[in-house]
Amino acid sequence: MQKIIEIKDLVKIFKDTAQEVVAVDHVSLNISAGEFTTIVGPSGSGKTTLLNLIGGLDTPTSGSLHVDGKDISLLTEREMTTFRLHHIGFVFQAYNLIPVLTAKENVAFVMELQGRKKEEIDKRATELLEAVGLGDRMNSRPSKLSGGQQQRVAVARALASKPKFVLADEPTANLDSKSAENLLDIMERLNKQEGVTFVFSTHDPRIVAKARRIIALEDGKVVSDKSV
Amino acid sequence: MNILRLAWKNIWRNKVRSGVILSAIAIGLFAGTFLLSFMQGWILGTVNSDIKTQYSHVQIHNADFLANYDVNAFFMREDVENEIRRGVARNAPTAEIAFRLNLNGMLASPHNAIGVTAKGVFEDEEILVTDVWQQIPDTMGVFLNDDTRMAIVISSRVADRLRVRLRSRIVFTFQDVHGDMQSIAFRVGGIYRTTNAIFDEANVFVRYSDIFSYTGLPEGAVHEAAVLLPDIETSNIVAPQLREMFPDMSVQDWSQMNPALSMYFSYTKFMGVVILGIFLFALSFGIINTMLMAVLERTRELGMLGAIGMSKRQIFSMIMLETVFLTLLGGIVGIILGIAVVLPTMETGIDLSFFMEDQFEDFGFASVVYPILNIKMLAEIVVLVILAGILSALYPARKALQLKPLEAMRQ
Repeated sequence: MQKIIEIKDLVKIFKDTAQEVVAVDHVSLNISAGEFTTIVGPSGSGKTTLLNLIGGLDTPTSGSLHVDGKDISLLTEREMTTFRLHHIGFVFQAYNLIPVLTAKENVAFVMELQGRKKEEIDKRATELLEAVGLGDRMNSRPSKLSGGQQQRVAVARALASKPKFVLADEPTANLDSKSAENLLDIMERLNKQEGVTFVFSTHDPRIVAKARRIIALEDGKVVSDKSV
Repeated sequence: MNILRLAWKNIWRNKVRSGVILSAIAIGLFAGTFLLSFMQGWILGTVNSDIKTQYSHVQIHNADFLANYDVNAFFMREDVENEIRRGVARNAPTAEIAFRLNLNGMLASPHNAIGVTAKGVFEDEEILVTDVWQQIPDTMGVFLNDDTRMAIVISSRVADRLRVRLRSRIVFTFQDVHGDMQSIAFRVGGIYRTTNAIFDEANVFVRYSDIFSYTGLPEGAVHEAAVLLPDIETSNIVAPQLREMFPDMSVQDWSQMNPALSMYFSYTKFMGVVILGIFLFALSFGIINTMLMAVLERTRELGMLGAIGMSKRQIFSMIMLETVFLTLLGGIVGIILGIAVVLPTMETGIDLSFFMEDQFEDFGFASVVYPILNIKMLAEIVVLVILAGILSALYPARKALQLKPLEAMRQ
């Protein structure tokens, strides 16, 4: 499989006034197209930092990070924003959606930023919302949707830009177990049917069980990397 | 396009807060529009009524006349009349000209005597230039155009001071060209009242033909030519032309005849803009505060927008647009309210006499104000509002610009 994320010797150190915290400690790993991978570990293990680095939201202290063959640590802030827009889909723990826009407008928004044609945007937004089971809630604002529904809109939004991969940082953290399972089922189906690459972090063991590759972090180091 | 739409929707996410600042802007602009229309109407009304009653747009005198109103400082009507008509023909073919004698003297009744200027007029041309004849109530006689012999038209204020009525006999005494005193008996043929007490107390009107023979002046001599033009703008063009045509005479326009009024006129325009500027300056602090709150409480969302690929330029534009929309919307609502209140009063006028009685008239100001709305003024207000919006937007938008997606989302 084609490697879309190549990480070599990646280090991220946060400098506090009192001390240095090594959040990511010489991590090397590759992620290939079509993977459904989770990064697990106790809080403070560096999961979020690693995801932020992969997503180009943060810059590494040292090491190299290639996404789709491109060294993203060399990009300027502006280039990075454009890169994120076109290559990476994001699902955050919360505050994913723009409250004044409807579900459909939220999904459409990223494509509008990309400058796609109106008909294409409209068609894809509808398809994606149907795919996450919200075909009947397209014109609802986020405040009228449950937490689980909001996260499904966020998944649809993340896919809208046709990214190389989707990063999801604890997407189920604020959900009850049923909604969490439902969200993961949808992500899994999109992964299998559409071949979308997912990388997500979690510390919920039931969610972990759905992943096909589990990377475990501890103190910023990869302590295990198993494919199932 | 989507950013325009998003900005517009964002304004309405906190309806109460946006409503409060919108109302503040609307009220400020309503007051500003009304005040400017009112002030312009007041001053222009006063200027125009003074021009119509008293000064005309341009007056021409013998160069020596104005120094001490010397009866000997005259000029011959036939020498200048055709030239003046030629001078105004190009820019103001409808201009009217009146010639007059101006004689300073004492007007006496059995009860009192006061100093006045008697204007010896040709009544047919005088009524085309000044509107004093229109200020004579129906029961108070006419402006020299009946068969009353030796008629004099005085104001009601002069009538009160002399304690005379219509048809009373009064005596006008003045010095003729030889320095001899001449006393002429007149009969009150009309009593006028303008909105300008100062003018009323100083001016009386008699026929040129009645008074001329007592002056000792040569046939056809006059002291003053008054030219009435269509408007002030025309006057600004014609007055300098006449000045060039008559280098040896005194040619004054209305603003030179009444520099105080002319000063008020410019000052009002300037003050209007200053007052509106102050309004907007104060309002802009409210706008900045509102937008700053809007940015700070949306920190996480703005971080998310940056994370999913909205550029800083786009986020900056969004906040700028929100602020400008808010300001412009409030401004337009305020201006429309202002227009709605001003429009009906433009015809009927606003009567100020209820709270100041005659005091405005005593100082030469009309007590009924006809507000004026002009497009140029409204355009200036809108430009000022947009400018205020853009300036107030800068700080909040800069705040949004400084956010880093990751740090913003962590908050």
